[in-house]
Amino acid sequence: MKRNIERLLIATALMLQMGLSYAAETGSALKNDTLRFEPYADAKAVGNFTRGESLQILKKKGAWLQVKAKKGTGWVRLLSVKRGVATGSGNTVSGALAVASGRAGTGQVVSTTGIRGLSEAELKAAKFNETEIKAMESYSVSVAQGQKFASAGSLKTVAFSNLKAPVQPTGNQNESRKTIQ
Amino acid sequence: MNHVKQSNKLTNNLSRHFYISALLAQLLLGYSLNSQAFDFKEAIKGAVENELKKSDGASGSTEAKTTIETEVKTDAQNPNTPAASAEVKAEAETGINWKNPSQEEEIAIGREITGNLLGAAPLVKDAALQKYVNSVGRWVASQSERADLPWHFGVIDSEDINAFSAPGGYVVITKGLYRKLNNEAQLAGVLGHEIGHVVKKHQLKVIQKQQLLNKGASLLSEKFAKDNKIANKAIGTGAEISARGLDKSAEYEADRLGISVATRAGYDAYGLVDVLQNLTQTSKNDGSVALLFKTHPMPEERLVALSDAVGSRLDNVKPGKTLENRFYKLKN
Repeated sequence: MKRNIERLLIATALMLQMGLSYAAETGSALKNDTLRFEPYADAKAVGNFTRGESLQILKKKGAWLQVKAKKGTGWVRLLSVKRGVATGSGNTVSGALAVASGRAGTGQVVSTTGIRGLSEAELKAAKFNETEIKAMESYSVSVAQGQKFASAGSLKTVAFSNLKAPVQPTGNQNESRKTIQ
Repeated sequence: MNHVKQSNKLTNNLSRHFYISALLAQLLLGYSLNSQAFDFKEAIKGAVENELKKSDGASGSTEAKTTIETEVKTDAQNPNTPAASAEVKAEAETGINWKNPSQEEEIAIGREITGNLLGAAPLVKDAALQKYVNSVGRWVASQSERADLPWHFGVIDSEDINAFSAPGGYVVITKGLYRKLNNEAQLAGVLGHEIGHVVKKHQLKVIQKQQLLNKGASLLSEKFAKDNKIANKAIGTGAEISARGLDKSAEYEADRLGISVATRAGYDAYGLVDVLQNLTQTSKNDGSVALLFKTHPMPEERLVALSDAVGSRLDNVKPGKTLENRFYKLKN
């Protein structure tokens, strides 16, 4: 019994792992977009896909994914593709997760007691904790220390102005074409 | 006559309510106005603004001074009782300038909220982890428009998947969310989102609005004052404010800013995107994301919004760092 649950959890973990990896076979289109012959905005158009369409993810290069769609195979920006299953949010794994968390109606509740939650009720009942807030403040890092930490990781600042709210509603098919002109 | 009677009562009430925690409970009155007395709120909205203009220099500020002078021992041990949170009107003006709070006031508000949140879930007892998250957070925050704030970051001991921020530069991420991360760029993206809320004062604006509304309400007729008391019974306490969502537009804005600051900090621009992609694979029925999904647009919608906002903007940005090698591993 316990063993079964363990196996189930491992299986779930594996499934999740697969879902997260770029090598995962499937994805779905977050928007209408044009497929390009190469991973560049100005590469030749070789097809397109529409929002919600299932895609096969073949390769990743920088911020681009090579995908196979109904109307051709080509490259798109990775932000046009949701990795994992085609419809809804995580339908494939939800079943397994439901079992693992005891919600599948089998009565096999895998204990989650001892896990501290942050439900609305718990947050509402929360009492100010001076010790903890002081502790949190004690871990603060100065600007100079932050800079030092960044240098240690070879992080260098990049000029990039804040992203603005898109003017057009979501799913604009001609977006990439416009940027080329 | 009537005036004297009222001010006696006022002084009496005021004595109970000096503490900011009581004040914060008062802030939440506004939320109950939303749900409990929607018409009431609508009805006074216009009047509030007029009254605010009229009273700000006169009775309003007088009352504020009274509050400060009043001695505070009476109910100090129990500032969160319904009695203490009810009848709060003028004591809302504990000295904080709600129209235009100073940075110190903003920090005091954020500290109170975060202290309450830490009452619900304490910090993970791992100094190296806390220091690491503060280092990443500080560096990212230094690339924001409010680099001057004394930023504080923390990982709290909860398996819920979420992150919170409060005015003045307090940012908290749960261990449950941290566990989902694979590299430093992803952490930078998550912290960047929260930094975005603080930079744009999203929470502070909500609090201010409610506060000013309440203040205005208290200046109106007795009938409204009564309604006010009724509404007060439903006042939230503790860190309830952390359980309330912001506008969707505020979340989308924080996503855009999160990517922007993480990119400027030299990280892989797609850290936050990775995390959102990961979250699309979490079942909506999973209890660990219940609050997150309740208070934010679904990760898929957020990805679409980001996709539209990013467009070609990142095409010519040199690939940033992910730094998975130095990403701090949780001990348990």
